[in-house]
Order: sequence, then C-alpha cells, then structure tokens
Amino acid sequence: MKTKINEFPGISLSEKDFDQGKILFNFDELRGDFAWDTGIAIGQYLASLREGVILGARCSSCRKTVVPPRVVCEWCFRPMAEFVPLEDTGTVNTFSLCYVTWDVQRIKEPEIPAVIEIDGASPLHGIMHLLGEVDPKKIFIGMRVKAVWKPSRQRKGAITDIRYFAPLAEGGVK
Amino acid sequence: MTLLERDHNAPTAWFGNLPVTNRYTYGLGGERFFRAVKEEGRILGTHCPTCDWTYVPGTAFCERCLGELNEWVDVGATGEVYTYTLLFENYDGTRRETPEIVAFIQIADGGIIHRLGEVDPEEVDIGMLVEAVFKPKAKRTGAITDILHFRPL
Repeated sequence: MKTKINEFPGISLSEKDFDQGKILFNFDELRGDFAWDTGIAIGQYLASLREGVILGARCSSCRKTVVPPRVVCEWCFRPMAEFVPLEDTGTVNTFSLCYVTWDVQRIKEPEIPAVIEIDGASPLHGIMHLLGEVDPKKIFIGMRVKAVWKPSRQRKGAITDIRYFAPLAEGGVK
Repeated sequence: MTLLERDHNAPTAWFGNLPVTNRYTYGLGGERFFRAVKEEGRILGTHCPTCDWTYVPGTAFCERCLGELNEWVDVGATGEVYTYTLLFENYDGTRRETPEIVAFIQIADGGIIHRLGEVDPEEVDIGMLVEAVFKPKAKRTGAITDILHFRPL
C-alpha cells in the first residue's frame, strides 16, 4: 500500500472527557480475591514475625542459612534440617528511591525499597523491605540497619509487622 | 518438630485482593446508541443499504460488507422474545425465590439481551411481544441498565 495515511479515524480521549461527561463509559471492578497457601516454611516465617523474630532455615550439608525459610535446600535439594531465629539487624545490599506509589501516583518523599542481608543468614542472603528514618541522600550500600517493629499487639503475621529498617548506629556506619 | 510438619498456629494462607478496575468506552457506534438511550429514551439501529440489514444496537460498520453505516434509524422500543432463561441463583451464588428472567429480545435484524419484568415466569413464551421500560430520564447514565427491563405489550 503506497498511499500515505495522513489522518487516522477515531479520537483520543483524555481524563477531562470522562470528567466532563463528554464520553459515555462503563466502569467495572473485577473481584480479584485470592488466598495463597503459605506452605510450611512461609507459614512458620509469618508466625515468627508475629513474635518479633525473623526466621531462617539452615541446610546442614551446604552449611547455608537462607531467609525467608524454605523446606527444601535450593542447592542440594535435601530437606532443610532446621529453622533458626536470625537477628533483626542487617546490611543494605541494594536500594532504590521510588517516587511513585504502586498505583502510579507521584510522591514527594520517596519510598525506599531495599534488599537487606540479614545477620545470621549466609552472606548475600536477605529480604526485601523498606528503609525509614533516614535521609534518602545518605543511604549507601553496606549501611547497617535494624528492623523497626510494630508493637506486638498490632502484629498479625505479615511482612509489614516490620515497619521498615532504620540505620543502626549514627549514620549506619559499622 | 521436623520441618515437614505444619505448625497449626502458623498462618495457613495469605489473603489478598487484586484491585483490577476497568473503564470500557463504547466506541463510535456504541456512543451514539447509548446517547440516544440516555437522552431520548430511544433504541437506535443502523441500516445497511447494500445488505438491506438493520443492526440493533446500531453499529459503525456492516459486519457483512464492512461498509460504513450512516443511516441511523429509530427501531422503536418493542421486540420479540427470541429465547429466554430463568435464573434461580443470584450473582453471589445465593438462591432466589422468584427467578430473574433473562431474554434475547429480537429487534429488527438484531436485538438486546435484557431482563423481562412485570410478567409471570410461567407465562413467558418465545415469540412474545415485549416493550422496553426506561428509567426516568434524570436517573439514566448512558448504560444498558437505563432500560429497567422489557415487559409484555
């Protein structure tokens, strides 16, 4: 087809067109309720969070401690021997400053998701969480942080039972 | 305790909800159709002169010859029950005492799927003539539910 198309039929819509009633539309909401089976290991992990403990699992043949815990070792495929309580302190492995919320709203103060290597787990093993009580400009990889827990009455067995991780010492330096 | 045993005090499931919403716009043909429902309480169709076929609801193009359709016609508010079904269950799965009657109402060469109302379920029949009952104008939003139901003529 050699003819150049200069004009496309149809109209693009803006949010204004909806607000001002220029366009008719149907709004619908899917019922996306779900229940995700925690399994043995994550169930135990969540139960421990409720008690204020970060739980890991240890493989005695690999001598590895992983967090969150799991029942099968990812390296040797043997059953994990034991669950072990870990420290609630750790080291920032990586982080990001996020200026949009999950539903794409712009925010002034960034959310700071980070991967935190948990003390007591094998090196480079950690969990993803948020950083708080910290100047975004002063965060660095290797910063020492500690979990800030919700009061025990408010904890319900969720990763959000930890509010965020805050710098451990002055400036978070070891 | 071995690791293969479940702690019965531990959470067994994580519950959540996916907030999925959507906004469906009716398109060029649908916009014109629902404007007429909302503002004039009329059901519009489109006539294809090539195929001599009248689409209800009105569409922007002919499905048979793919020609553009510009001939909008008021097809009236009456139609014929082409087929119907009695629903004894609500949307949430609970039982209903009196059934909801859903029918395909043939109008011109097309038709509308809608509820039947003001009728005894026993008396509904294929071929029955029915008319659309519109909501009062102030309550119409430009949706298929602007028609409350169809009732026997």
